[in-house]
Amino acid sequence: MVAVMENIVKRYKAHTALDHMNLTIQPGETLGLLGPNGAGKTTAIRVLTGLTGADAGNTRLFGAEMRGAALAVKRRIGVVPQDLALYEALSARDNLNYFGRLYGIRGAELKKRVDEVLEVLGLSDVAGKAPKKFSGGMKRRLNIGCAIIHKPELLILDEPTVGIDPQSRNHILDFVEGMTKQGTTVLYTSHYMEEVERVCSRVLIMDAGHVIADGTVEDLTKAAIFEESVTLEVRENAPGLCESVKKVQGVQRCEADGRSLSVTSAAGSQNLARILECAAPYIILSVAAKRPTLEDAFLALTGKKLRDTGGEGQ
Amino acid sequence: MNAFFATFKVGFKFLWKSPVSVAILIAFPIMLIFILGSALSGYISADIELDPVPVAVAAEEGGAFRSFLQNPDIAPFFDLTYTSRAEAAALSEKGDVVCAVVEREDGSLEVLSPPGSGFSARIALSVFDSYQRVGAAFAIRGPEGGDIPGFSVEDMPLGKRVPNATDYYAVTMLVMILLYTGTNGTELFHKGMLSDTGSRAQTAPVTKPVLIGGLLAASTVTSFLQGMVTFVFTGVVYGVYWGERIPLVLLTLFAVVLFSQAFCIFLLLLFRSPGAVNGTVQAIFWVMTFVSGGYTKVSFGAADAVFQYVPNAMAHTVIFGSIYGGNEAKMGLYLAILFGLGLVFYIASFLLGRRRLA
Repeated sequence: MVAVMENIVKRYKAHTALDHMNLTIQPGETLGLLGPNGAGKTTAIRVLTGLTGADAGNTRLFGAEMRGAALAVKRRIGVVPQDLALYEALSARDNLNYFGRLYGIRGAELKKRVDEVLEVLGLSDVAGKAPKKFSGGMKRRLNIGCAIIHKPELLILDEPTVGIDPQSRNHILDFVEGMTKQGTTVLYTSHYMEEVERVCSRVLIMDAGHVIADGTVEDLTKAAIFEESVTLEVRENAPGLCESVKKVQGVQRCEADGRSLSVTSAAGSQNLARILECAAPYIILSVAAKRPTLEDAFLALTGKKLRDTGGEGQ
Repeated sequence: MNAFFATFKVGFKFLWKSPVSVAILIAFPIMLIFILGSALSGYISADIELDPVPVAVAAEEGGAFRSFLQNPDIAPFFDLTYTSRAEAAALSEKGDVVCAVVEREDGSLEVLSPPGSGFSARIALSVFDSYQRVGAAFAIRGPEGGDIPGFSVEDMPLGKRVPNATDYYAVTMLVMILLYTGTNGTELFHKGMLSDTGSRAQTAPVTKPVLIGGLLAASTVTSFLQGMVTFVFTGVVYGVYWGERIPLVLLTLFAVVLFSQAFCIFLLLLFRSPGAVNGTVQAIFWVMTFVSGGYTKVSFGAADAVFQYVPNAMAHTVIFGSIYGGNEAKMGLYLAILFGLGLVFYIASFLLGRRRLA
């Protein structure tokens, strides 16, 4: 096991940020950590990396107790904070050199690693320039570069793509997928469901300081979604069609709006063929079956939309 | 040590590229050009800043001491009455003059003043003190006491250089500048420990003392070097006399740097905002400079006994004493207090930091 958090409690005065939180990270997996604003994601990462001590519970990384002074363990992790954590007036190379030296790399090895990271992140051409002159995407890439300079076994990325253009986001996601393929274990938090669906092999959903769901994207959507919907459009008005459809097994609701029908069934009913049989007498112009997404699962589990929540500030 | 030097290097580069730090480096010498330039050109001249002091002088006409008193740098400080030794002593005893100065046959001087006037003690403490109280001309040093009963007698060799307004402001302004460089520590410590960049550094396999040590070393060295730019600048451009005990002057300046760094970092841990710290020290250091006579002659009566322990005042006393001669015991005490104050604020910062950085 790469990381284990057991019954972690963290309080800030009267506010309980983590309420008996449990988490495990398996070697080689990319674990997505989702949660609305204030769910405790960033606090969990701070406890995991030793930046903040927990009031109760145990945290172990690579089998060792994680405390502020667990230097040997810290050597094996890399952290990409939510906000840019760079010396923006210094060059990209200076930043990588600094964080590399903090991890004990020096001399020719350091120079080689810095060149490699600049190359991988597409920053070789601007190595001597200060990040304050970079675009948002370039800054984000350098922010990641400083966390991987020492080839960590566990890479923790806290909202690594906030506020950047689609091209840079794609670059970062490709990079994360590449790290996973190389065997790096990744903990990834994001407000973007499609990112989590793309890169994560397992997802934890947090709310109110503890984990409320844990599984693959497919598992979570199956477990959390209780309804499926199909929308039919026919060429002419079909006044009796809704009544016929309602008799199909699993259908819970059918609403007609002119030539359009919205049919809601219980999850897993697998009744699309029978609904289409009912509509066979009419000329069907289109059929749209909405597949439940992680966003739907998140909404069902937390009652909140993730994209609306903004950054977490604790 | 790799991490320590890495932190030192990154902090050093950060400060030399920081707009605030560069502003200190450029703005303060410019400010000195204005202040010292004004002092030289008479806008801040001694006769404006200081009331002429009535002094009776018994000295040979055309002799070395009379020539000395006619020096334009000195003359405005005094309202001189040339007379005999006996008459000079009588004028002093009656209080018509604050003291009498008698030139001996061997060229040394006796300063006579009535006991209990407080004057002789003040003038004997240091050049800095004498400058504020009675003018710079009498750079009198040595312990109190005298060979004439009832009078204080101090010796001063003729030809000793005396501070003019430029020399005075060069010292007081440099001390003030070094205090303000404490904001280097504020800016760097915030970036390197309290910001997201600092948090990331703390996720590395490095202990906090190593990180903090590297940052403090960087800000201290940078601040001291910035002070040295001004130090050299005053010597080269304005010919300010820094005396023959340069190492003692530099040690005092270093003590001021250490104090200001520790004080500003303590405030940063207290307020957590570099802006709040900078605003606070702008006010505090201005007041400290003012009450210690850094801008102009000032007396607060009984409060002066307390204000002599203001860091600026202690630094002024040690530096003036090292240049022109002063009470060595007092200089040593003040220097020790300056280093001690730095230590106290570092310890307080450490204790506060254990909570804030936990």
